Amino acid sequence: MIRLAFLYAKVQWLQLSRVPGFVVPTLLFPSLFFTLFDLNFARSHPKVAPFLMLGYVAFAIIGVTLFQFGVGIATERSTPWERYLRTLPAPVASRFLGRVIVAAAFGTIAASMVIVLASITAGVHFDAAQWLRIAGAMVAGGVVFTLFGLAIGYWLSEKAALPVANLFYLLLSFAGGLWIPPDQMPPFARAVSPFLPTRQFADLLWNAPFGISWSALLPLGCFGCAFLIAAAIGYRRDQKARYA
Amino acid sequence: MTALLELHDVRKSYGTRRAVDGLSLTVNRGEVVALLGANGAGKTTTLEIALGLRKADSGEVRLHARPVGVTPQETGMPNNLRVREIAGFVAKHYDTRPDVDAILAPFGLEAFANRQAGGLSGGELRKLALALAFAPKPELVILDEPTTGLDIESRRNVWSYVRAYVSGGGTVLLTTHHMEEAEALASRVCVMGAGRIVHDAPPSGIRRMVGTRRLTYAGEPFDPSTFGIDATVVCDEGRVTIAARDTDALVRAMVTNGIVFADLCVLDATLEDAVVTLTEVRR
Repeated sequence: MIRLAFLYAKVQWLQLSRVPGFVVPTLLFPSLFFTLFDLNFARSHPKVAPFLMLGYVAFAIIGVTLFQFGVGIATERSTPWERYLRTLPAPVASRFLGRVIVAAAFGTIAASMVIVLASITAGVHFDAAQWLRIAGAMVAGGVVFTLFGLAIGYWLSEKAALPVANLFYLLLSFAGGLWIPPDQMPPFARAVSPFLPTRQFADLLWNAPFGISWSALLPLGCFGCAFLIAAAIGYRRDQKARYA
Repeated sequence: MTALLELHDVRKSYGTRRAVDGLSLTVNRGEVVALLGANGAGKTTTLEIALGLRKADSGEVRLHARPVGVTPQETGMPNNLRVREIAGFVAKHYDTRPDVDAILAPFGLEAFANRQAGGLSGGELRKLALALAFAPKPELVILDEPTTGLDIESRRNVWSYVRAYVSGGGTVLLTTHHMEEAEALASRVCVMGAGRIVHDAPPSGIRRMVGTRRLTYAGEPFDPSTFGIDATVVCDEGRVTIAARDTDALVRAMVTNGIVFADLCVLDATLEDAVVTLTEVRR
């Protein structure tokens, strides 16, 4: 199964890497947005710089998961190729795992670009233990937003998934405080921010250098459970319509 | 005989519509079984159930063949993958790891190996779909309307390849709307109507079941029933075609009654005539 998962990952990597419309926004937008909106501020405020950088790391991971799983699955699940793949001797799990591997690779690259940029230009540094906790928070948030992407992918049509994913991606990123610190957001956004999964993900990342923030991890876990249920129901509904 | 696929009393409905209704079918090693029938007769659903792509509402499905090659009705390949990459990807699903060039060559696709699938014509994509079905040297190949969209030469090349595959011990289950394809390939024809197999015989047997022959001539049409002969008459651009059980009696009646004709031919019913007649009788 693992060998096939890497086979599927390789094929998906080839497919995605040949689509500039996926590669450019997914890999470049987080570091581009960081450069345009917050780099100067980060350079002049070294104590705030790590938090700004981690906000854009969250933004990078959310982008990859929503587009890879949300838009990717919504686009592919109705294609004849997807139907053909089911006739090949490969478990569904290896195809899913292949998608996870590619998402992890894209997410790591996009987040690393932000981290390298912030380290070089704004002097952001953490010790190994802090990086380890940040990596753990990135994985935790990645899993939750992967489930969110799956729910979008299995509930929405190909045409609806892209605008809806974009809407969630940009609105939730803004209102979650990934670009602007929450205390500087407009009053309405500040009021709803604590109830958004993006904010919980950001809180988890912002606290990761100092320890595990249970007050962020638990609500994020609850969002994860809700997304899991939505994705599972959507998956079953789709499979029943297509293959039952 | 070794059964590679067994379907027994299979039923499948989509809402209130019965797509497959008590279908039983066994495909044995070395056979080429053609499922024929009108659109909506249940052919594709039967194949999908056999492949596990659809779950039957009831009945038994046993697929003994390993590996199984498949060409689905719809050809869809990832547009931005190269032909070589697609063939290599499919090949790596099998323990035998078939060589990519050996997969593409029999279908004349070597020249397109480095082209992205999005740049192929419909016919080239179809050939690629066929090449992938035969890639793992399968014990059984399931082909859903395999040569749709292919030109005559390509179609005949595919037939030659299928015949060679079968003579090497392969087995085929196919659906087609091209009766000449069924005549060229099938050792057994299963005529489907209303979700079940209504006739199952070799092509020659299916043709004989109709019991009619066709008499054609250049001239004016006449009504055979005035001579007590039951027949159907079709006129097309000065040529008359009459389908009748007793064409000898028909010729005698024409001569005796002074029907003027030229270029008279008497032909066996084609498989197409037979399938149309058998499914019409059923309706």
